Amino acid sequence: MLAASLAAGLSPMTDTTTTRATQEARWGGLLAAAQGGDARAYDTLLREITPRLRSLCRARIRDAAEAEDAVQDALMTIHALRHTYDPERPFGPWLTTIATRRAVDRLRRRGRGAGRESNIDDLPEGAASVAPVAEERIAARDLRDAVAELPESQRTALRLAKLEDLSLAEASARSGLSVGALKVATHRAMHSLRRRFGVKGDE
Amino acid sequence: MRTDDLISRLSAGLTPVRRVPPPLLAALGWLAMATAVVALGVAVSGFRHDIEQRLMLMHEQVNLVAALLTGTAAAIAAFHLALPDRSDRWALLPLPFAAFWISGLGWGCIQEFVQQGFPALSTSFGCMRFIIGFGIPLTLGMLWMTRHAAPLRPGPVAALSGLAAAAIASVGLSLVHHLDAAAMVLIWHGGSVALVTFLAKRWGAQAMRAMGP
Repeated sequence: MLAASLAAGLSPMTDTTTTRATQEARWGGLLAAAQGGDARAYDTLLREITPRLRSLCRARIRDAAEAEDAVQDALMTIHALRHTYDPERPFGPWLTTIATRRAVDRLRRRGRGAGRESNIDDLPEGAASVAPVAEERIAARDLRDAVAELPESQRTALRLAKLEDLSLAEASARSGLSVGALKVATHRAMHSLRRRFGVKGDE
Repeated sequence: MRTDDLISRLSAGLTPVRRVPPPLLAALGWLAMATAVVALGVAVSGFRHDIEQRLMLMHEQVNLVAALLTGTAAAIAAFHLALPDRSDRWALLPLPFAAFWISGLGWGCIQEFVQQGFPALSTSFGCMRFIIGFGIPLTLGMLWMTRHAAPLRPGPVAALSGLAAAAIASVGLSLVHHLDAAAMVLIWHGGSVALVTFLAKRWGAQAMRAMGP
């Protein structure tokens, strides 16, 4: 997004920054009124910041339902901490910290939960056969998209080492990359995929 | 529940709130309270018999000032860090002072070792009792004042609270107790401060949550 704005010249970016600042100043005012007990200002504020919260949470959590849970967590934290906002200070960082914390908490909790869930493939045939096909297809597509977004070298390493199941020596001969470079690239690729899908690494 | 419904519910039950005081003011308030409590402890225990000579010693003055600065910096950092819109870097504020304090004691150890050889070490559970006895209640006091940090960064805030409380208690202890060897001060003061900080880090978050936001 930043690169796009830069490519389009400096002025659009400056405009966005200004509108953002104006918007945050307005939100700060609304929250100051809410601290005094103005329920209508508070309602307006929460409705106006929800899209921002959603984009902050979606930036970290891919799953839409999970991200929406994080948005609701953030709204409740905002409610509990509304007395910590100082109207003299910018509103943006206050909001961002809260939303980011809640999104990260959700990811962590899911990471822990994922460890306790059993893999459908490990279950007896009968149980595995009822796995919803559509969901699997969506997951596969998500994975393909994620792999496509990796840097070229990591993608190559992942394809050779994990998908085509070549040995490191073979993969090295095929790609022209050194064994060390392949190892690093594969590790990085797995790491960024894991992080993207909110799976805790097993290292 | 849908997000819209949650918002309606939150705004329908809105009550006016009192803003938290500015962090610097809150820190000074806590420091005043902590100083009063520790001073009371010193008054009850009585000054060490050689207090006048000790306070004339350069290294003793440096040690006291460094501990005081560490406690003050940790308190200021904790109150800032407890607020959502402050930088995580506040956590670093007490580090230079703590490093100065510890290195001063370490330097004293080396000097004594060179002059007198290996120091006679003994246990001094009285020291530990003083620092823990004053450190824990003062930590709880600060955790109560910063309990709004519970959903944000409870760990760092709690650790800083423990450090602040234990460092202030250590200043008081230096006025009360007869420890001459720097190695003993390093082990028993330093160790007790580290212990209180660790306890605060380990259980501070639970304590904050129990106190409610």
